[in-house]
Amino acid sequence: MHIRVIIRLALRNLRRQLRRTVLTASSMIVGGGLLIFTYALGDGSHENWIDAGVRTGSGHVTVEGPEFRFTKRIEDRLSTNVRGEVEQLLASPEMASQVLAVSARLTISGLASSPAGARPVQIMGVQPIDEASFSSFDEQLVEGRYLEDGDDLAAYVGVGLMDSLDLRLGSRLVVQAQDAEQEIAAQLLRVVGVFRSGIPQVDQSVIQIPLHLGSEWLGVGGDVTNVGVVVTDSDTVAGVAARLDSELADFVSRGDAYVMDWRESTPALASAVALDEFGNHLVWGVLFIIIAFGIMNTVLMSTLHRYREFGVLQALGLTPGQTGAIVLAEGLTLTAVSGFLGVGLGLWSTWYFVGDGLDVSGMISEDMTFSGVLIDPVIVPLFRLARLAQVFVFILAIGALASVYPAVRAARIDMAEAMKFER
Amino acid sequence: MNQVETAAVRTEGVWKIFQQEAEEVTAVRDVSLTIDRGEFTALAGPSGSGKTTLLNTIGGLTRVTRGNVWVAGQNVTDMSNQALAQLRLNEIGFIFQAYNLLPVLSAMENAEFPMLLQGVDAADRRARVRELFERTGMSGLEDRRPGKLSGGQQQRVAVVRAVASRPALVLADEPTANLDSASSEALLGMMAELNRDLGVTFVFATHDEHVMERSKRLVRMVDGRIDSDELRT
Repeated sequence: MHIRVIIRLALRNLRRQLRRTVLTASSMIVGGGLLIFTYALGDGSHENWIDAGVRTGSGHVTVEGPEFRFTKRIEDRLSTNVRGEVEQLLASPEMASQVLAVSARLTISGLASSPAGARPVQIMGVQPIDEASFSSFDEQLVEGRYLEDGDDLAAYVGVGLMDSLDLRLGSRLVVQAQDAEQEIAAQLLRVVGVFRSGIPQVDQSVIQIPLHLGSEWLGVGGDVTNVGVVVTDSDTVAGVAARLDSELADFVSRGDAYVMDWRESTPALASAVALDEFGNHLVWGVLFIIIAFGIMNTVLMSTLHRYREFGVLQALGLTPGQTGAIVLAEGLTLTAVSGFLGVGLGLWSTWYFVGDGLDVSGMISEDMTFSGVLIDPVIVPLFRLARLAQVFVFILAIGALASVYPAVRAARIDMAEAMKFER
Repeated sequence: MNQVETAAVRTEGVWKIFQQEAEEVTAVRDVSLTIDRGEFTALAGPSGSGKTTLLNTIGGLTRVTRGNVWVAGQNVTDMSNQALAQLRLNEIGFIFQAYNLLPVLSAMENAEFPMLLQGVDAADRRARVRELFERTGMSGLEDRRPGKLSGGQQQRVAVVRAVASRPALVLADEPTANLDSASSEALLGMMAELNRDLGVTFVFATHDEHVMERSKRLVRMVDGRIDSDELRT
């Protein structure tokens, strides 16, 4: 019975100072909405960076030789046997639903030369259809065409390298690299397509060739340097990596394979995301400390003005705890309703940008890169249910914390003194 | 039955000393007093005589420094805050100088409030309050908030609130101080009637001559002590 009385009094008191209640609620609603919106934008940006980073790099999860990530030498490649096992696992019904794309690559460092000169390059042997699903190189075409399955001697070259070596579409170039026998081997290529990734390091050094051509040239048979995986949902990365690690335990323990996720394979990107998230949390923290003080101010002011009333309530038979509970209920009701509306406002404002995204191209340059990732100027917000719950609980916690002190003040009044209190 | 059990209030050697910065102020000095059920008693005296403080110690609003207080047979001196709250809820009704109605509740809801806390069912609450509103001339004003009532009307609601929950004792601190003489006279008449018809025990702290004249027992206090205690006819 007392709980109903406490809630009824709390609601009536909130309505009593309607303007103050509405102002405080508004700041919380806007704050909550802003938090949802900026969280969605932040998560969307990070997802975008990660997606761009892993597709240019070696995927959300990659399987490669344990030493390859340090040496980048062909002798630290993945054997045909391991590659087959990995591809079979990823195609299994248990894992296939979590996998969006798989690409087996033969990536080596070498030298590209033309009559105009020579440049150090990174040569990627890829299976064109798989690679087109895995990375976005095919979408970055500026001239010619992307690689095709039946291609022979074909090269897909970055626009920067084209300039450096003074190449044209159809030009010939020669690439040299160390083969499986640790001999220097050369291969003649013909440019079939040119791409622009927007990342200078990539545009000036990457050449993609058909995997079968690389395998024959370097004499590695069915071996590759890594098998990269892009997952359907980035939240499942850890699970997919763990599953692969577990299924490949024999190869891993023998030192024939190593499974890692994008955080390990691209630590610079992982650090950039973590740093940006930290900065965001810091800003949101400050924002909510300000809001918390606003709530505390409202509830405390309301408490200080009602000392006599709290004295009366206790004289009529409420305990000090129940008196404090009225104040706490006011704070919690205010924050719960505001939190709910704030989440609604955040969802609405975010939803508006979900389709086309928020275009910030006016604020950043077209080719802005960050930790080796090209920043997309159109940020598509990302909704996460867990985030909504997190924000709602966070607002409630802030409201509860901010109401504790006023509640304690109300509970600890001296009744006889409170009766003397003039409003 | 002994005196403690039959009395509405009994105090024994009660002292109340306030600490004001480095100084001690004695508000009540060694007061022993018994008020029987059904009495209509006024504690009178000038400002600072200790009458309000004595009333507050009886009502459990402030704790005594020394001595003992019994209300409806229960020693309140060492009661926990929880037990004191229960005692106030079930055994004591309060009427204050400044009415002290809850501004967010209507007249009816204010009058019902202690019974709501007691868990009295809604129909019973309404019936009791309507009957008392009729007796006190408040019928038709049940839904008004305190801000829409005159001082006299507010004080009548406060009296109904104090009486409706059927306490053993009603403590009234300067109940007429904020009222004009007509309202004051009407209120006193109403309380005297409730005392006579329903046997409600009233104890007033007052310096209003009208209240003193109406009382059946007049206890005068000076400097925290009982100066005189007379029964009136």
